[in-house]
Amino acid sequence: MGKPKILDLILKNLLSKPATIEYPKKETVIEPDARGRHYADLNKCIGCSLCSIECPADAIKMTPIPPEYEAPKRNPRKLYPVINYLRCVYCYRCISVCPTNAYVSTNEYRLATTKTIYSDILSLSTLPKKTG
Amino acid sequence: MAITKIIEIPYSLEIPVGPQHPALHEPLLLKVYADGEEVVKVQVYTGYNHRGIEKPAERNSFYRDIFIVGRVCGICNTVHANCYVRALEQILGIEPNNRAKYLRVLAMELERIHSHMLINAVMAEIIGFESLFMNIMLDRERIMKAKEILTGNRVLADYMMVGGVRRDINDEKKNKLLKLLNKTEKRVKYYKQVFMEDDTILKRLVDVGIITKTDVLKHSLIGPPARASGVKIDARASDKYDAYDEVPFNVVVRKEGDSWARMILRWDEALESINMCKYILENLPSDGNPVPDEKRLPRRFPPGEAFTRVEAPRGELTYYVMSDGKPMPYRVKIRTPSFNNIINTANVYLGHSIADVPVILVSWDPCISCMERITVLDLTTGEKKRMHLKELARGGRKWVSPRYSI
Repeated sequence: MGKPKILDLILKNLLSKPATIEYPKKETVIEPDARGRHYADLNKCIGCSLCSIECPADAIKMTPIPPEYEAPKRNPRKLYPVINYLRCVYCYRCISVCPTNAYVSTNEYRLATTKTIYSDILSLSTLPKKTG
Repeated sequence: MAITKIIEIPYSLEIPVGPQHPALHEPLLLKVYADGEEVVKVQVYTGYNHRGIEKPAERNSFYRDIFIVGRVCGICNTVHANCYVRALEQILGIEPNNRAKYLRVLAMELERIHSHMLINAVMAEIIGFESLFMNIMLDRERIMKAKEILTGNRVLADYMMVGGVRRDINDEKKNKLLKLLNKTEKRVKYYKQVFMEDDTILKRLVDVGIITKTDVLKHSLIGPPARASGVKIDARASDKYDAYDEVPFNVVVRKEGDSWARMILRWDEALESINMCKYILENLPSDGNPVPDEKRLPRRFPPGEAFTRVEAPRGELTYYVMSDGKPMPYRVKIRTPSFNNIINTANVYLGHSIADVPVILVSWDPCISCMERITVLDLTTGEKKRMHLKELARGGRKWVSPRYSI
């Protein structure tokens, strides 16, 4: 039996650092335009529900804007999309069908959690609160 | 005289291989009947992973279905979406521009490279060559990165859209992709050499699971198993869909027909795909924007039907889509290549030892996730034993005793 072809490679690997990334100590380098967490910018959203209709995973629910927030005039129905991130498949169909380009896309991929997470806090943070 | 009764000789050992495995493959059950070490009969049971995905496709709109059919299979999601999208384009009468066609082929070929690397890695793992498995998977990450650069996600690309693709690439991305492909090419050549020359691999794969050209034609096998037995069948070459009529490539064919030939053929195809990707990146036409405005795509589909096929990494994949003028398709029929290849090859296992069963099964590149844990059932005492498939592949010394092989 001859020398195994892969022996050199194994010896080289034995002496080098591990190839795997030490997540979460070291962050994984990800493309800036990778499809990660996204949410609606409510200053642009007109509450048309198109994203909710087109979502293949039924992850988007149209929800009334809470009364303590100032709903913009361009949103007459006062509805905004809330994404269930655990249901979302990150296909970005909502972003591409949005008539006002209201969605903000990020490459945030660290979404592991034990609780259900929604986009409402992120979306509502784009709106000013009512004064007085 | 018609046959009224079949007498089946009771075998001493029935070994169900499968159906549960959480990693790599989908569930499938192989009931292997063995006389001592020799396999005498194999029954294939499917249906453990039936998700009824054709039914949700009928209940969702045409556009939502693009993302639903992409989830039929994780490894070959781009080809599934491409096949379905081309069917919609046929119904609508839309033709994407050349740049979009080239980008589609690029995404599909990247997928073929990582799929072939994956199954070769799995084969190395199954025969107990774990360091080779780790190394191939490490180099496969480069292609996953390339897919991330091109489509925005490592695995599920969601790249196809009616009338084009969903993302364009610029020069910076092009250079990044070329760099990754050049690095991977060297590694793929090296691994091919390892598979050609390493004694361990040759001893486990050569002359195992031979299927002749006649049997391939008789059982309608497709994809790499057919090409490894000398049948030149490739939907890319015969249909010339998308940009396959302009991108030069060779259909790789081997004559041996054994497990080894199937694995080497996959390395050759991966090299061929790398060359195609490089050609596409260097000769990418710029005849307009490949990304259609999804807001302006037609909302109504005229009544009609379409039948399309693509060459998935595992063979020919076909879609039949029928529209009756309503917002949802009337019928979406999917025929995947693994289905053909797995259920029609039960006869190939006969005469080989039990340790060869996993090797032969993996050499078909099954899209089935079952293959780690098996139950050994002693029919005389009713005793059950669970073990890893790897253990079985290594000879299963623990259970091959006179007690189990009466």
